[in-house]
Amino acid sequence: MKRPLRLRLVLRDLAAGSAFGAMAVSGQLPLWALGIFLGALVLALCDVRLVARHARLSALGLMVAAVLLGLQLTSGAMNAVVAACSFAGLIAAQRMLSTPDAAAEGQTHLTGLLMVAGGAALSGDMTYALCLIAFGVLASLALALGVVEAAVPDGEPVPVRAVMRPLSSGLAFAVAGAVAFFVLFPRLNWAMVGPRSAPGLGAVSSAGYSNTVRLGGAGTIKGNPRVVLRATLTPDPERDALDAYWMGRTYDTFDGIEWTNVVGAKQTERQITLRPATDTLLHQRIELLPAYGARTLIALEMPSRLGNAIAHTPTGTRSTPVQLQGGGEVRFTVTAPSYTYEAYSLPPDAKTGMSAGLVQAERDQLLALPEHLDPRVGPLAARVLQGEKEPLAAARKLAAFLQKDYAYTLEQAGVPEDPLADFLFVRKAGHCEHFATALTLMLRTQGIGARLATGFYGGARVDGGYLVRAGDAHAWTHVLVPERGFVTVDATPPSNRTSQGSVLLEKLLAFYEAVEARWRNSVVDYSFRDQFELASSLVRPPRRPAGAPEKEAPSRLPPPRAWATAAIVAFVVWRAGRFISRWTGRAPALEATRFLDRVDALLQRAHVPRFEHETLEDLTTRLARDGHPLALALTPLTRRYLEARFGGQALREGEAEHLFATLRRALDAEAARRAVKPAGQAGPTARAS
Amino acid sequence: MKAPARPSFKARLRAWLRPPRTLTVTKTGRTYLVVTFGVGLGALNTGNNLLYLLLGLLLSMVVVSGVLSERCLRDLTVRRVGADAAFAREPFAYRWAVSRKAGHGFALTFSEDLSPLTGAGKLGHLPAGKEHIVRADLAAPHRGPVRLSGVRVTTTWPLGLFAKTRVFSLEGMLLVYPRRGYACKEPGPAEKGPRGEAGSPRHLDGTGDVAGLRELAANEDARRIHWLKSATAGRLLKVEREREERRVWKLALETGLTGDALERRCEEVAAQAHQLLDAGHEVGLQLPERTLRPAAGASQERRILQALAWEGFEDVDTAGADSREAA
Repeated sequence: MKRPLRLRLVLRDLAAGSAFGAMAVSGQLPLWALGIFLGALVLALCDVRLVARHARLSALGLMVAAVLLGLQLTSGAMNAVVAACSFAGLIAAQRMLSTPDAAAEGQTHLTGLLMVAGGAALSGDMTYALCLIAFGVLASLALALGVVEAAVPDGEPVPVRAVMRPLSSGLAFAVAGAVAFFVLFPRLNWAMVGPRSAPGLGAVSSAGYSNTVRLGGAGTIKGNPRVVLRATLTPDPERDALDAYWMGRTYDTFDGIEWTNVVGAKQTERQITLRPATDTLLHQRIELLPAYGARTLIALEMPSRLGNAIAHTPTGTRSTPVQLQGGGEVRFTVTAPSYTYEAYSLPPDAKTGMSAGLVQAERDQLLALPEHLDPRVGPLAARVLQGEKEPLAAARKLAAFLQKDYAYTLEQAGVPEDPLADFLFVRKAGHCEHFATALTLMLRTQGIGARLATGFYGGARVDGGYLVRAGDAHAWTHVLVPERGFVTVDATPPSNRTSQGSVLLEKLLAFYEAVEARWRNSVVDYSFRDQFELASSLVRPPRRPAGAPEKEAPSRLPPPRAWATAAIVAFVVWRAGRFISRWTGRAPALEATRFLDRVDALLQRAHVPRFEHETLEDLTTRLARDGHPLALALTPLTRRYLEARFGGQALREGEAEHLFATLRRALDAEAARRAVKPAGQAGPTARAS
Repeated sequence: MKAPARPSFKARLRAWLRPPRTLTVTKTGRTYLVVTFGVGLGALNTGNNLLYLLLGLLLSMVVVSGVLSERCLRDLTVRRVGADAAFAREPFAYRWAVSRKAGHGFALTFSEDLSPLTGAGKLGHLPAGKEHIVRADLAAPHRGPVRLSGVRVTTTWPLGLFAKTRVFSLEGMLLVYPRRGYACKEPGPAEKGPRGEAGSPRHLDGTGDVAGLRELAANEDARRIHWLKSATAGRLLKVEREREERRVWKLALETGLTGDALERRCEEVAAQAHQLLDAGHEVGLQLPERTLRPAAGASQERRILQALAWEGFEDVDTAGADSREAA
């Protein structure tokens, strides 16, 4: 058996790996499927065909896996698309590890194609595009090498370099064609059935947006530099770095370990009003990115109104109602990788008052303490306050004390029985949740109402908007101040409030996020409306120049780009027409045959027919031998016919008509001569023999 | 004699409709098209832009595949080198010479169009500016002249999804000799008595080893004189050489044979001739309408095989010439 080309097998396996990667970036595949496939890929790349001798056993294993996936599917633990994709990955792994024959090759490529299609259904991440291109290139190379290898005799080398050049140019055209198809093909959506997609591997759930916050449970998020929120503010503060608090929700109940809320869902509307508006609201146009991974709306403190939300799902863009939860949290009712919405917030110095939506149970909880609160907390607070009773001043005094005597750290101290006591009296170090919880409870021990607030702190200015990263996740304290309402007091040391990630990494990720944003806007969210706008932009009249007088009537002619487009389309149509006409055009030999048919027709009309089995050459020879006057006219025709038919010299345009005219003249002359002479007096035709 | 008839409308229509290239879908290509259809349905159903992107890529690959395979088949020059000897029902080496002025050709398969010859030659890579000889093991089902109308060149390049074929119109003829089998019958007795220019078997006048010297008789060939010994002896001495044991057979093909009987007889005569000529004898052939004089050697065997191959097909060439002219 001919040994397959090693390079081709490596390309095939890498193509399958890319296809699997297209699914894996969704982050929805089970870990065991990821592990099995990666193991198989490594073994295949090392040319270890593990199941080559155990094909039946591996097929049995596949059946078992299919049954397990089916059980998970029927029990509702797994999505049908995810189960199908996982199974395709397992089949690809089995095929990669089996004997590399033609059947295994075809099946590996087929499963690769199915995995790429599955990946499109599972993921909207930009890394999918990279995997798709990698699969297209690698699989095409493997297929092309396979085709050439099959035609190369045994023992001869496969011309790998010669294959690469035409194929790479072909692939470039294919990618360009795919882009053209994507842009131009009318975007249709029957919307019969469709799975939801996941935000991708890079997505993380931001701190505090589950229903509870476990003290000490989230410390590593501070180092995550992924952008979770992009906002445009009106009026624009025009500062490079915001020192603003982006609020997500608040918590009022602490049981010693976890923060929760006493009240659940309240109302569902297109817009939610949290507190009365003023004349100077701060408007925000906010985009929550897939890395955010939660459904809680974020807005600058203090949010007044939230809504007009649009969810960007893989099946299209649609508006979604929002729902008010306890703790002032507003949630989207539709799950999607990303959202866009509007928010209005009170200016920082405005009086917020007691929120109208705050129910009595929530008000009561503002002073509630956990049952087993360490008895040293209250005396510590009293000692620091030294009789201070004014809520805001007391809060600031306690915050200053914590910032001075306590250290900031992201390192976790295991799971202590009483995390607050551990922070205040043992470790004296913690992160924002420790500081915020300590301040909130110390205030409550002194009879001052307070609650925990979570969200993000900061914001970096990029392209006229502000970016907030996952590492900017933060917790702080809301102090209830009579006549003013809740006022933010942050006990965390100022230098540790924002993201703690590496600056270089942040810059790199900012670039990635910018590219990904472009990918989302241009590809994932590309819609029929975009197509329509693209088409209309081509024919829209040019805008009036900035300095042009208003009286000047705009030109009714289409803009230059419309002419350019029309010229390009006309050129393409012309080239296609030429290509088709050349492709389907008659061969020169057929033209020559048609020429002969016309000569025959003329001769028949003049009663000088060719006999059966007599060629035109024979006829001309016969006429010349007989001294027939038509022989002179027929000789150049015959020579030209033979050249066209067998000599590869096709008839030029108009040449046939010229020759026919000569023949017609000769025929007319012959007819006239016959008419003048009676038939019985025809010239002597006898010849010596 | 009557005037020649124009080709029928059906024939002209068929000639007009015949595409310059033919395209067939391979097994891999069928699967590919099914998956593409499925992706298209999925894209229309879900409106998922990534599925549209994938669909665009799959369709583009189909187009690129067609363009690349077309470029592969363009600018090819094919000529037939042919076979040294083609015997019916056994593989014989056949060759085509192929070249191109520019560009590369990949994964080309060569075969004879519209002929009963089976088998194909393959060429992995054809660089520009160099003539390449493609070899194939073909097989013919029966003896006789095989009319060759064109060479089919097929490629599955680049992805193996479609097999595109171009037919190079190339008239020709291949004469297939009768099958070389086992001769069941003995060839019969050899010819007896002196024949033609051969000398009397009673005299030693062969071309073998020297048997002796004797005085030259009257009217004997002077070219056999041994001049050195004659000078020594003072009289003309002739060299006598041993004569090889080479006999003459005259094989005959009976008249009135047709069909399978004719085939079997031709094969048997071919086998007998091969056996006798291989042993160094002279073999002649008596056919119903012609006769081959006895002779020895490989060229005589070829003459016999050619004569046997043509037996029953004598009118083929004339008809072919007529049909070519009519076309």
